Amino acid sequence: MFDLLPHILNGLTLGLLFALIALGFMLIVGLMEQINLAHGSLFALGAYFAMQLMGPRPPFPADLAQSWLALPLGWRYAATLILAPAAVGLVGIAIEFCMRRTYGKDPLYGLLLTFGAAMVIEEMIRLTWGTRDYVLQVPQAVNGGFIFGDLIWSTYRFYAAGIAVAVIGLVWLLIEKTSFGATVKAGAHDSEIVRALGIDLTRLRLLVFVFGTMLAAVAGIIVAPIWGIRPHMGVDAVIPAFLVIVLGGVGSFWGAVVAGLLVGLAVGLSGAYASEWSLLSMYVLLVAVVTFRARGLWGKKSMLEA
Amino acid sequence: MIPTPQSDSARLITPTMLVLWLVLATVPFWIARVGLYPYLGIEILIWSLYALAFNLVLGTAGLPSFGHGAYFGIGAYAFGLCQFNVVANLWACLAAALAVAGLAGALVALFISHRRGIYYAFMTIAFGQIFWTVAIKSHKVTGGEDGLLKIARLPADFGFASFDLAGNVAFYYFVLMVFGIAVIVLWRLVHSPYGRVIAAIKQSETRAAHLGYNVWLYKASIFALSAAVSGFAGGLFAMAQLAAFPDVMSLHQSGYVVMMTLVGGGLVSFWGPVIGVFLFLIARDVIGAMTNAWMLYFGLLFIAVVLFRPEGVAGAIMAAWQNRSLNSMRQQGGTALRLLLGGGRWR
Repeated sequence: MFDLLPHILNGLTLGLLFALIALGFMLIVGLMEQINLAHGSLFALGAYFAMQLMGPRPPFPADLAQSWLALPLGWRYAATLILAPAAVGLVGIAIEFCMRRTYGKDPLYGLLLTFGAAMVIEEMIRLTWGTRDYVLQVPQAVNGGFIFGDLIWSTYRFYAAGIAVAVIGLVWLLIEKTSFGATVKAGAHDSEIVRALGIDLTRLRLLVFVFGTMLAAVAGIIVAPIWGIRPHMGVDAVIPAFLVIVLGGVGSFWGAVVAGLLVGLAVGLSGAYASEWSLLSMYVLLVAVVTFRARGLWGKKSMLEA
Repeated sequence: MIPTPQSDSARLITPTMLVLWLVLATVPFWIARVGLYPYLGIEILIWSLYALAFNLVLGTAGLPSFGHGAYFGIGAYAFGLCQFNVVANLWACLAAALAVAGLAGALVALFISHRRGIYYAFMTIAFGQIFWTVAIKSHKVTGGEDGLLKIARLPADFGFASFDLAGNVAFYYFVLMVFGIAVIVLWRLVHSPYGRVIAAIKQSETRAAHLGYNVWLYKASIFALSAAVSGFAGGLFAMAQLAAFPDVMSLHQSGYVVMMTLVGGGLVSFWGPVIGVFLFLIARDVIGAMTNAWMLYFGLLFIAVVLFRPEGVAGAIMAAWQNRSLNSMRQQGGTALRLLLGGGRWR
């Protein structure tokens, strides 16, 4: 049992990252009943923007770039955590403006539209940055490793898991404990009544969508130092995100979080015994659950099925 | 007495089939002159067969299967492994490709046939990824990412005569013959009472169940059948490539066959998938020679078709030639598309 502890910890931190990746996807599915297949590409875009901001050639005018580079690494990193998602949020606004026309129609149309957006974004990434791998610089404080119980642990993994917990907590507070969250949930439940109460649903949906895309970008920045930055990372992220949502059940916040942790544990523990096969475990887990539970762990009846 | 015009769906061989076969039979004579190459003809035929098999699930049954490449790939591996380890006989190896892929499909069908809509779609993806990972990681059996190499084009022995298929032209005609037979079988299957029940289940599972049909069994069997024929096409593909690679089993490649089928108009027409394969593979060679980003353009075309022209190319052709209203085709395509992810819900 004690031998397994590192693998369990590793799995849990990985699971928190999966939950973080799925978070923005879940918000848009749960609150707007739209499947955002561009989620992965926005995730990648966040990582690329951050890499550009943290790299030697920041996308600023020359004099501003000088003073930006003069800032300590930690400050630049903190600012990047806000600036890069904000830039991705702008892309999110553009996508939402296109997606608007599909509201009220079948969710299939939104799915296809975002699929197209995903292809375009990925191609843009290839054109702008090429196909090579990049590394995202992180401050010294969260880099490196420490020794605990005769084992070397990566500091960054724990930092990333901590951020994931914080972001998940904040999103939960926002949805469950603020009037904004209440309005958004009401809008998803009965849009006509919410409109009749004089609430601008168009703006509300835009906000939710942009918030979801910004969460994708944050996940991208946090995960990038672990997975590396390459054009394909979007696809590598959107499939687990989708899987976590299906496993946890569409429309269930804690379902997604628990599913993320389960997937992380499955990958971590199977990695301990057969590292070659560890990526398989998440699919086996999905099959095992969905075979017996029609809507994943805690899924609700939604537009997306019969 | 004036003979009554027979409906195409009652025929064994339709005029369309005859015309198509005749045109295809002339391909080796001119394909090199238009700047393409004979191997492309083989590829188109095999992928057409694969797409037709896939459309049994997508178009006929209205089930969203997004991991179908797995069965195509399994067929290819089964063909190669049978050739190396069991018996190097063309018919035996093709039968093995059919059987093994069919079994894999039946196994998956056990797990997914009681699901619908997005959950069904995601289960097919999960199984596709499982098979794909197994193919990549089982180095000893499949050769891993390097693929299973040195698969031979076995001679076609008809008892009275044996043909060497090593050359591309000979192999092309062999594939054309097999394609012709498979098309007749699939055409009869779709228009059989069994095929009609499948189409009824597509419209409404509940209604079909209330009429006394075992919906689960029909859904499972059409999936297994489709997987078997896909695997058969995969066996031919292994012969064409002289190898079997895990590539075709990846999610990307499984997505290609969905794109081909939908762009071609598989939702409204039997021939849609074939049209889609022609467009896709020729576009790949012609546009792909000009720009690396050709997938982007095909992807955008795909989205435009699905959003605005759900009847696909086949629908437009049918509207122009058979005096059918384009609008009704469009509605038919749109409805089929909504049913696909809506999961047997009639709105």
